[in-house]
Amino acid sequence: MRTQSRRLKWKEPEFRSLAAVIACTLYFAVLLVPVGGCSTDTGKRKLVVYSPHGKEMLSAFEKQFEARYPDVDVQWLDMGSQDVYDRVRTEKVNPQADIWWGAPLTTFAKAEAESLLEQYTPSWAEFVEAEMKSHAGFWYGTFATPEVIMYNNRLVHEEEAPRDWDDLLHPKWRNKIIIRNPVASGTMRVIFSAIIQREAARTGDPDAGFAWLRRLDANTKTYAADPTQLYLKIAREEGLVSLWNLPDVVLQKETNGYPFGWNIPVSGTPLITDCIAIVRGTKNRADAELFYEFVTSRDAMIQQASEFFRIPARTDILRDDLPDWIRSLNFVTMKLNWQEIEAQERAWMRKWDEEVKGKGISH
Amino acid sequence: MNSFAVKRLIPVLLLGAVYVGYVIYPLTETLRESVNIGGAFSVANYINILSPGNSANFEALWNSIVVSILSVLFSGILGTFLAFVLTQFTFPLQRLLTGLAVLPIALPPLVGVIAFLFAFGESGILPRIAQEVSGMNGNVFALEGFSAIVAVHTYSFYVYFYLFVSTTLRQLDAAQLEAAQTLGSTTLRTLRAVVLPELKPALLGAAILTFMASMASFSAPLLFGGDMRFMTLQIYNAKLNGELDVAASHSVVLAAVSITFYILLKIVTPRTSGVRRSKGTGRSGLISLPIPVRRVLIACCIALLALELLPIAIIILISFAKEGSWTWQILPAAYTSENYHKLFADPHVFDPIINSSLMSLVAVTACILVGVSISYLLVKGSLRRVRHIGDVLATLSFAIPGTVIALSLILAFNSPGIFTAQTVLVGTFWILPLAYFIRMFPFVVRSTSASLDQLDDSLLEAGESFGAGSFRRFRKIVLPGILPGIVAGALLVIITAIGEFVSSVLLYTYSNRPISVEILAQMRTYNFGAAAAYSVFLLILVMVLSVLAGLVGREEKSHPSPVNI
Repeated sequence: MRTQSRRLKWKEPEFRSLAAVIACTLYFAVLLVPVGGCSTDTGKRKLVVYSPHGKEMLSAFEKQFEARYPDVDVQWLDMGSQDVYDRVRTEKVNPQADIWWGAPLTTFAKAEAESLLEQYTPSWAEFVEAEMKSHAGFWYGTFATPEVIMYNNRLVHEEEAPRDWDDLLHPKWRNKIIIRNPVASGTMRVIFSAIIQREAARTGDPDAGFAWLRRLDANTKTYAADPTQLYLKIAREEGLVSLWNLPDVVLQKETNGYPFGWNIPVSGTPLITDCIAIVRGTKNRADAELFYEFVTSRDAMIQQASEFFRIPARTDILRDDLPDWIRSLNFVTMKLNWQEIEAQERAWMRKWDEEVKGKGISH
Repeated sequence: MNSFAVKRLIPVLLLGAVYVGYVIYPLTETLRESVNIGGAFSVANYINILSPGNSANFEALWNSIVVSILSVLFSGILGTFLAFVLTQFTFPLQRLLTGLAVLPIALPPLVGVIAFLFAFGESGILPRIAQEVSGMNGNVFALEGFSAIVAVHTYSFYVYFYLFVSTTLRQLDAAQLEAAQTLGSTTLRTLRAVVLPELKPALLGAAILTFMASMASFSAPLLFGGDMRFMTLQIYNAKLNGELDVAASHSVVLAAVSITFYILLKIVTPRTSGVRRSKGTGRSGLISLPIPVRRVLIACCIALLALELLPIAIIILISFAKEGSWTWQILPAAYTSENYHKLFADPHVFDPIINSSLMSLVAVTACILVGVSISYLLVKGSLRRVRHIGDVLATLSFAIPGTVIALSLILAFNSPGIFTAQTVLVGTFWILPLAYFIRMFPFVVRSTSASLDQLDDSLLEAGESFGAGSFRRFRKIVLPGILPGIVAGALLVIITAIGEFVSSVLLYTYSNRPISVEILAQMRTYNFGAAAAYSVFLLILVMVLSVLAGLVGREEKSHPSPVNI
């Protein structure tokens, strides 16, 4: 019996499986050879950065930082700011990130309340206005970001483009508006929260904001899964108008040549303070501080302004140091109660998701 | 208890512990989280989800079910049609076309959805061409929302129907059909009265696999969903919004629907051994049709299969497109090989490929160890008598959507526990291979059991009578016989794991980010070319592995992977 089974062993199916096993082993052997001597274990100290600031800016500062500090290997993960928050919360017990670079201050305030951050006072702390930094020193504002109405300027003339928030509700924009999935986007969460607050203050009715958003939803063609889908749909003319932040719109227009124009709403726009913080439980505090200072230095701020279209929050950077496009900016800042936004945002977004999204009615 | 019984009990207990620790325990944690609202017990989330009317959550459940039913319907029609034409008629290029028919299963879900977007989406190549040709101002056609999701599902899942139906048709008893036709039965009548009953198990099996895979689908709703709600997206959004209890209750409902349908599969499907040999020469030509009708059917089949290549061709095209050169034009305006240069030059760009391979290797090792042991115990070992229950349990984790597995792992393993040797798994390299293992070990169980079923018990008895110990019997008799089954299942695990996206996107860290997540990240930062180049690389990798799986699995009747879109 045994000899019979042994003789069968190399017949067809078995032989083929053996061939497959050998092929697979070869594949993994070839593939895993580089792992041994590869980038991951070069004896460098690893510094992990979570950020929504985009590949261009992140890789530029990765290179500059590593050139200055050759012992450090900067690794960054680019994702939406709400994704970063969710990730840092999920990893609370076993933190993976050292630095969290970029999210609206409301998000950082929530993270501070949930003990997700470490205190650190940067050397330039005194040059940030009081409302743009954490009272206890957990996070500091880096950029001041106005929100805009963006449009496809190949098809929409400057004079036709919506100039204010309420213009977006006009029937001529029916099915022409594309909005980035607001639940996952720090930018969109703030814009929607600001509108809810503004309408409630204007009418005295807490639900007025949702009524406004329902009318916006009625004009909205679709919600894009990520910023790329948003740019793509506007650039490729699936929709013509969106609500987004100024730096990203300018960056896409200038670096990729996309047909984007923008208006800062005349009645006022939320000015989002974009912040930076050290993640609680970082295994690399010293390097985290180095990176923190490095990307928020005066020179870095000016570089970020001219190359990546970010508007510095630091008060010691003079207008003359900044590029023309920032100097020519002129806008009204919407007055907002940030504490209320921080406390209510989650409930508002849930209410929006359950009662407004896809159910909009026009009046 | 004597030592023999103890020795038999140890493997059962070990496997039981693995099962309880990594499948049951995470799910109970999810259940616990779903009824824990602000520290108090409440079923409010369930009432919210399950109450019809204006509830958005009920809408998500409803949409998921409707999309799944439509996906089953269209996949069924397409898969059965192709199976009929390709098995019943003979024509040139048939072998090639037969190979093409199973191609979509090799396409990683996220890549498939992106390909569809560029091919058939509103500003995709085909709608733009149609617009140009017709001279119309607006869109002539475009896939969006519901129709797009159903189309993507049909594209990916018809393969289940195709595989199951063509297997059955090849095994059909030609003598029976000949008898029917000799007795004067028309072709239609023969189909209805003789062929259809034979196809019932295959159709039901494929239908319920397709239903489960559609319910669990994530990438298609994510990129095509727009303002519509689906269960998997509700879980993702609720988690992003910081509402874990809501995410957990959605997960429980989604898992419950999938498991219900899985159990239905077990009850409704007639039990067949899977070894049904035809007595006649059979195979092709069972059904006689006039030649013109045949020609039309064959032409349709070829056209459909050619259409199937289109998304793949488009991904390849975009991988050569210059970044930012494609906005309102029909095709990209400038081409370059830079995307590939970048892919192979930068060591960091290569990392995700290594990560994915390494993680699928870890997962497949665990799947083989656990899967083969379970299968052996159920088919030949001490669990033989409870095989039916064992099969259901082993396949349970395969009925649970990837999104749900990911969420359960986060809830269960973000604090030290006995199943993780007192460490926290969330945020480590190991959590992803674990997720792959949980979802995919049933592949190995299934394919190994199929081989074991064919292994003659008398061989083992003979070995025992010659005095060979159980380990020696396993090594010398069992292993050589079931090796093809193990390898087939293992390759399926590797193929699925290497392109996995659904649970990866919720669980990855920098140190283990897989290819699929990197593709999405490249998309997010507007590097289509790089995203497409990664996709092409992943595609080649998976296809090579599929060919290997095909080589080995040809004789095996293992279920194909229920890939999550």
